[in-house]
Amino acid sequence: MLEINNLHVAVGGADILKGLTLTVPAGEVHAIMGPNGAGKSTLSYALTGRAGYEPTRGGVTLDGVDLLAMEPEERAAKGLFLSFQYPLEIPGVPTMTFLKAALNAQRKARGEAEMSATEILKLVRAKAEDLRITPDMLKRPLNVGFSGGEKKRMEILQMLVLAPRFAILDETDSGLDIDALRIVADGVNALRSPERAMLVITHYQRLLDYIRPDRVHVLVDGAIVDTGGPELALALEEGGYDKYLAAA
Amino acid sequence: MNAGSVTRLRAESTPLPTRRVEAWKYSDLAAVLPDVTLVAGAGSVIELLAGHVERLEVASGESVLNVDRFTSGALEPRAFSATVAAGGTLTRIVIQSASNGVLLGHIRVRLCAGATFRQFIYAEGAKLARMETVVTVEGEGATVELNGVYLAGRGRHADLTSIVEHMQPGGVTRQLIKGAARAGGRGVFQGKILVAAGAQHTDARQNHHALLLEDGAEVFAKPELEIHADDVQCAHGNTVGGLDANALFYMRSRGISETEARALLVEAFLIDAVPDDLPADLHGEILSRIRAWLGGAP
Repeated sequence: MLEINNLHVAVGGADILKGLTLTVPAGEVHAIMGPNGAGKSTLSYALTGRAGYEPTRGGVTLDGVDLLAMEPEERAAKGLFLSFQYPLEIPGVPTMTFLKAALNAQRKARGEAEMSATEILKLVRAKAEDLRITPDMLKRPLNVGFSGGEKKRMEILQMLVLAPRFAILDETDSGLDIDALRIVADGVNALRSPERAMLVITHYQRLLDYIRPDRVHVLVDGAIVDTGGPELALALEEGGYDKYLAAA
Repeated sequence: MNAGSVTRLRAESTPLPTRRVEAWKYSDLAAVLPDVTLVAGAGSVIELLAGHVERLEVASGESVLNVDRFTSGALEPRAFSATVAAGGTLTRIVIQSASNGVLLGHIRVRLCAGATFRQFIYAEGAKLARMETVVTVEGEGATVELNGVYLAGRGRHADLTSIVEHMQPGGVTRQLIKGAARAGGRGVFQGKILVAAGAQHTDARQNHHALLLEDGAEVFAKPELEIHADDVQCAHGNTVGGLDANALFYMRSRGISETEARALLVEAFLIDAVPDDLPADLHGEILSRIRAWLGGAP
């Protein structure tokens, strides 16, 4: 489904990703763990096409299509979604307006019929309830004045409404208390299916108790240095990244 | 002078203000007016600018709505003076459509005790358009609300200039002006709030925020607070910048095209300055004008 092949990415002239290779097949959830500065967020921004994160070598395909050649909105229409580590506040744009614009833009790009405001409202309300997002929050400008935890839940709401084929969760657990973590994990798990795949980026093993990954990869200094099953995350929690850093 | 008469003036002897007048620094009349001839329709230019053309008295406790539309493609100076008696309310809405003309609007308002002046200006600019507002708080506890949105497209000049003079205590001023300029467009905001020595307990807030939508867009801003009283609350904020690139990327990462994301962000930014309680038809008109402008119409 997602194939990253020898990806090099430079940010401000400095090489951050240095030959990252990774394959996430449909139906699987992979976790990426790594110390600060390893390039975890750079990977998520390079995949979604943020300006300033320039791929210099290598390639990425999603369902066989060259991802790096597309604009961010084209990648989204193709089914790529990033749950931001720091979700942006969009002043003045009500959450419902934003969701409607995003959903219909994607549907239009895929040649599907646009949904009416009523249909979208119904869809959003049902998903919002599961995430304990109040109707009042949906009326407010997106993320403006929301707490860290509310913003993360709002990211998951967007993910559930847009129903992407491939989702990247960038440190979705940071800033969440244990209850919020469970709510968010339930939302993420609801989206798991044989046609979808996910990449979960995290510092801590904790999130992986709730979102069980099929594979765990260790990212150090811009490349994957180790891969294993869920037990690898437990070993990292125990021993840290020292052995990889010493080798690097 | 008779209505419909034609006044011929040499440029160097024009009674109109020049850029040497501080408050006209950014709006250069001489550059846009014909060299030697000023053509004035009903009444002369001089009279119009002197404010003798229209007078309005709002009686005590009354409410008056004044809707002023500038649509001309030619030279159009318009002056207006109003006095609002105690407890009265004057609401003025100005809609200035984009044109290649030279449009000058000048209003002078005097507020008696407890009177209210509320104004909303929607300005698309012209070859030169300047909407000037002078409000004097002459009675205790008067309220001034000055809101505005200006949109300066290519070749357009939109100037919103205002002076609020608090001469008596307990007055309130709330001013929020938002603007956007495209390449080759020029926006001007000059706003002065003066609080005289005796005008204690004045509460004045002035805000102007503008977006430069493209390279080559210009916005000149001159916010001013002049305070001679020692027991007042006054604040002002002024920003001019581009759209938040991070917010744009966030929206695009959700599938919203760059064009639509920009339009949504700019619209949200501007609408903040449009009062919710304008008459519904005018509110609707202003929103659709903003959307049309963002869609690239004028």
